[in-house]
Amino acid sequence: MGWKGEAAIVGAAQYKPQKYSEAPQMFHLEQVADLAQQALADAGLQASDLDGLVINGPHFHEASVFVPAMAAEYLGIAVNFAEVVDLGGTTPVGMVWRAAAAIEMGLCQAVLCVLPMRMAPFGRDEDPSAMARAMRFGGHSTAFGAPEAEFDLPYGHLGQNTGYAMIAKRYAAQYGYDERAMAKIAVDQRTNALANPNAIFHGQPLTIEDVLNSRMVADPLRVLEIVMPVAGGAAVIVASKEVAARARNRGARITGFGERLGYKSPTYSPDMTETPVGPAARRAFEMAGLKPSDMNAAQIYDCYTITVLLSLEDAGFCPKGEGMRFVLENDLTWKGNFPLNTHGGQLSFGQAGSAGGFSQIIEAFDQIRGKAGERQLKNCDRVFVSGTGGVMSEQGALILEGA
Amino acid sequence: MSTNKPMPIATSISAPFWDGLKAGKILMQHCGACEKWTFYPRRHCSHCLSSEVEFREVTGAGTLYTYTVARIPTLPEFAGPEPQLLAVVELDEGVRVNTTLVGLKEDEIKIGMRVKPVRARVSADGTVLLRFTGADVDLVEIDEVLKQPEAPVADADAKSVRQVPLTDDAALQSLVSEDYSPWSNQLLVDQAMINQFAELSGDKYWIHTDPERARKEGPFGGTIAHGALVQVLTSKLNVDLGFEITGFTNMVNYGSQRLRFPSPVPAGSLIHSRGRVKSIEKVRSGTQMVLELNIHVVGQERPAVINDLIILYM
Repeated sequence: MGWKGEAAIVGAAQYKPQKYSEAPQMFHLEQVADLAQQALADAGLQASDLDGLVINGPHFHEASVFVPAMAAEYLGIAVNFAEVVDLGGTTPVGMVWRAAAAIEMGLCQAVLCVLPMRMAPFGRDEDPSAMARAMRFGGHSTAFGAPEAEFDLPYGHLGQNTGYAMIAKRYAAQYGYDERAMAKIAVDQRTNALANPNAIFHGQPLTIEDVLNSRMVADPLRVLEIVMPVAGGAAVIVASKEVAARARNRGARITGFGERLGYKSPTYSPDMTETPVGPAARRAFEMAGLKPSDMNAAQIYDCYTITVLLSLEDAGFCPKGEGMRFVLENDLTWKGNFPLNTHGGQLSFGQAGSAGGFSQIIEAFDQIRGKAGERQLKNCDRVFVSGTGGVMSEQGALILEGA
Repeated sequence: MSTNKPMPIATSISAPFWDGLKAGKILMQHCGACEKWTFYPRRHCSHCLSSEVEFREVTGAGTLYTYTVARIPTLPEFAGPEPQLLAVVELDEGVRVNTTLVGLKEDEIKIGMRVKPVRARVSADGTVLLRFTGADVDLVEIDEVLKQPEAPVADADAKSVRQVPLTDDAALQSLVSEDYSPWSNQLLVDQAMINQFAELSGDKYWIHTDPERARKEGPFGGTIAHGALVQVLTSKLNVDLGFEITGFTNMVNYGSQRLRFPSPVPAGSLIHSRGRVKSIEKVRSGTQMVLELNIHVVGQERPAVINDLIILYM
């Protein structure tokens, strides 16, 4: 594909996940500057090195338009490449490959990719009702003419839980279902979180029975198979080969990537059990000239256990329909033969809005640069990362390799 | 179930579909260029982007592609006596539709089963939604617009309840329980009732009385009942606690130890109540019972009113 894959993640910052009620409230611009400062310090670079900015458009508190210009002004940087990414949970994956592509095209040398996801302070003239209205429908549009406002919401089809549950039900009808295998995904990831002091569920062991005894939310998904929303935020710095050479860390080169989306509601997918991460991962592996078995670890987006199962199959780590067996037959912990979501995954680390996917990217970077602490893998040069937005409606994949 | 549920607002593109449903027809778009079907309605074919799409009547017969049982309502307004049976149906024309199942028990639902359409009237303005049921279920249309349930009639031959004399301390203490009574009868809290209370109390705040403004500006998608209204409706909700205190000369409502309104009651909600005895103790002026009476929107786990009522027997 002619992709050189020299641009690398060289620095990262991530707020420790906290309950919304306990996290400090900060303006999003303030978080952007704070995360940028921390990520630059981590990389050993200066603000003046930054010449690219990728940021969220949706959910940015202080502006809904002109977000990159406002953020660049606040940071006091001028950039040759500015982008907003609107891909839900796969926004971080989408940010990182866009930054790498801009660098490889020669547009810029060092790109800040940032997602501020702590709450902003509440202003005197702000309307609490507006926030409550927005929360009522989550990621759904109620705008006049929005298809989902007309054909989904009146039927009660809204939120994420029931959408993922219906995918799981369809999967069960086609391939069978083993609730113990599904629970084991959450349990193995919790084992990983026990070795991660930053995880929201650090210090809270979990058993398969705990998962199976937890409350059914939408059949067949139980509450301990569903990610917990937390306050947080994260940033990474993607740099050219030249800038990376000056950075402190061993970089994680972006040697392959892919992206796929074709619908918002999976009802309209050709087959609910064939998820978009399939084509995205195939492209990423092809670009990198690698295959799933070449990976030392997989950091797979995990808003639900079913997301992990389908991603393992569709990204090619096991044959279609054999995910349950794969999960039962492999040790998915950092100590195991198939290290998966070694930071605990979002299920045990916490999901800071659309920044949740950064936890997977940053864990891959930490493993590659050897700063994963107690859970450090002995040999980690190549990591697969996936991202998922909406109800498995938009997905992305990255192949990261140690520089 | 309330009138605050999101309703479809037809556009110039989709109007034939919604009008068709009202007239008893299911209209789907067929493409003259590629011969495929499109759902939901669009200006163009969803397969080839041709604009040669036209609405044609279909039977609505199809198969169940997938479903789930929402054990937690996807919006508070979707709480009801039964959990939502959210489903995706694939029509024989090949298009899939987001819908809900009706007229089926949970154990009768199987992915791949044949289903047929049910026209569901969901609002007083005649809006019809397209629901589905089993192919062999005798159901063509349903009226889901909530009506005031029949008030319970006093049963002259009421089964004898446990008589507990005020003097019997052990028996009194045995009434204290962590478990709630069965649910009371149900009551519809509609806008007319809310308006009456607004007049009576003088609390005419728009969030209770102005459905249009509450829909646009309020946080709940429409008007909600006054907390104080729902609290007093306890008198219309007959909770069977299973006992009767005897041997007192006077019983007074001494107020409340705790009164909370943890969740709203949207206009058009069915409510019901249940209770338990929290404590009984001798006080200077008699015997004091704390009765926890909770009012819920039907199907909602979180109470709308928690009232720890103090009743003094003398």
